[in-house]
Amino acid sequence: MNRITLTVNGKEITREVTPRTNLADFLREELFLTGTHVGCEHGVCGACTVVVDGEISRSCITYAVTCDGAEIRTIEDFDDDPLMEKLRHAFSAEHALQCGYCTPGMLVAARDLIRRGAAGDEKVIRVGMSGNLCRCTGYMGIVKAIATVAGDYELVEDQAAVDRPLGPAPGPFAHDSLKEGKPEAARPTDRAKHTPHEAAPTLAAHPAGNVQTGEMVQEGKFTKLTQMITVNHPRDAVWALMGDIEKVAGCMPGVSLDRPPENNHVEGRMLVKLGPINADLKGEADVTRDEDKWRGTIDGKGRDARSASLARGRVEYELSEEDAGESTLVTVSIAYSLAGPLAQFSRGGIVRDLVTRLAGAFAQNLEARLEGREVAGEAQALDAGSLVFSVLWERIRSLFARLAGRKQN
Amino acid sequence: MKPVAFDYTRPRSISAALELLDSNPNAKILAGGQTLGPMLNLRLVQPELLIDITRIPELAAVTEGDDGIGIGACVTHAAIEDGRIGEPANGYLNRVASGIAYRAVRTRGTIGGSLSHADPAADWLAALLALNGELEIVGANGTRRAALDAFVTGAMETDLGPSELVAAVRIPKRSRAIRHGYHKICRKTGEFADAIGAVAIDDKKGEFRMAAAGGSHAPIVFTDPRHLFRSADPMDADSFDIEMGGAALRDAGMNADDYDLRLRAITLQRAVHDAVQR
Repeated sequence: MNRITLTVNGKEITREVTPRTNLADFLREELFLTGTHVGCEHGVCGACTVVVDGEISRSCITYAVTCDGAEIRTIEDFDDDPLMEKLRHAFSAEHALQCGYCTPGMLVAARDLIRRGAAGDEKVIRVGMSGNLCRCTGYMGIVKAIATVAGDYELVEDQAAVDRPLGPAPGPFAHDSLKEGKPEAARPTDRAKHTPHEAAPTLAAHPAGNVQTGEMVQEGKFTKLTQMITVNHPRDAVWALMGDIEKVAGCMPGVSLDRPPENNHVEGRMLVKLGPINADLKGEADVTRDEDKWRGTIDGKGRDARSASLARGRVEYELSEEDAGESTLVTVSIAYSLAGPLAQFSRGGIVRDLVTRLAGAFAQNLEARLEGREVAGEAQALDAGSLVFSVLWERIRSLFARLAGRKQN
Repeated sequence: MKPVAFDYTRPRSISAALELLDSNPNAKILAGGQTLGPMLNLRLVQPELLIDITRIPELAAVTEGDDGIGIGACVTHAAIEDGRIGEPANGYLNRVASGIAYRAVRTRGTIGGSLSHADPAADWLAALLALNGELEIVGANGTRRAALDAFVTGAMETDLGPSELVAAVRIPKRSRAIRHGYHKICRKTGEFADAIGAVAIDDKKGEFRMAAAGGSHAPIVFTDPRHLFRSADPMDADSFDIEMGGAALRDAGMNADDYDLRLRAITLQRAVHDAVQR
């Protein structure tokens, strides 16, 4: 718990909050200011819009603890505000609300748009209000109500707005309750200390000349990327190498195995990092080889305990002779599918980009290994410039990313 | 959804922030929280500690030097939109800032946070790649500068070390003659962009940079794209060849389908139009 002191609708308030309590929940559940509504709870719908130090903010993605020293105004504080009064009447007259869920956020955002002199013609108002969603009105009434009020509004100079801190409110010079006491110490835990059993290879910066990458295709639930690698060794030799599961696993950035394979079965993990997201996939894989057809598969699945997401991955390879048996064409495909929370976000392309890079690194490391060279970065610790993954077999599970509709930081 | 429980701390200096970051492997830096907040609420990110850097004075300041200006990492999009840091790059930054997401996001979202996150669909990355921006990165070994195009290694991937943080964005000083253009295509206003084109043209110095981003692919920068114009004059925006532009993006390593390549090439052409009109 952290003690915070802030001003809400003109009253100074001191409370203990847990850091994860967002400002909207704090206002509603601690202070019973239920005019602030919570819609999407991830910064998309605008229903929770409040004013923090004079500027509108989304209270569902602003944590109460960060508002220590700030001045908050919610919809309840605007009863006597002349501009808000006009907006209320206009919303009423123009049928700018039906169920009313979005209305507090709409009013707070509309008032701010007019206050800043940013409400122009209909298009400008629509763009200015695009961060607030309404599922009842079709926006016609809302836009009209705002246009009516904005048309009569005389812009007043606002020196406070000019002088505001350049960073997020309340900024470095506000009251800070934490400063008075010792900041709560972080508690390192075991899960933070986990290091992969084996150092992960890094990703090479440039595609190697002998690796060709195909297009990513969708096959049922699986997304699949095929690559072709030409190596200057006879097929027998390549086949033997591909049979060494540990060596092949070592080519996948970040994979670590728990123990040597037994009966073509391996267990291990794959740690994948994408932006601020870390997925730690624990799982297993089974290997099959068809000597007659020079084909092999590795089928894996894993689970990220924290997000309860599941990933499946399948690597298929096939060897064919080239140059009258002097060299071998290795066709490798990597397919993956995701289920659970990680799969539910719409930025699938980010995952594809990552898998493309992972698959590219895998192919290049494999090529290096087949050619008898060191696998790039294998001896290095996970360092800054590399994409840091530690992975279990080929299940590329990925990460997913994003959040349905928010924006940059 | 609610985030997992985490600890929270608010260092007052960069050195204290770096120390905390270094000693907590599962810590995340929190600036405006407009990307991290949703990710926390969706439990995509489950840190043990948030290190709030918004009360470190140096990070929310602007410095002017001989070679350009340094915008502190915690400066918000709204501060730039409103001209509270002046009009760097002839007003280009103000224009870009005003188109980021929504006002209620811009008031808290920060330029340094956006660049650290390196989402190719976010505005600053493309806008500042065209402008050849640099980052000031602080870590245990002091401050280093990194050109933005070297800093970004993929979609949402950067070369930022686990114990480093972005302290400032450096905007190089340029002549008044430089023209900047920007265009993005979004499914819904304020949403992540499907395609972004950004250009910087300095006729006098003969410099011409283009950045293509948006969607989910790592951004691509062209440092001299004149060969993509049918006309000898790059100010003839219509002569930017969309087919050639798309092919050049593919050749530069953008593994996107024809539609995505074309969409990006179109935004590049529109960005040139935008620059020419300035």
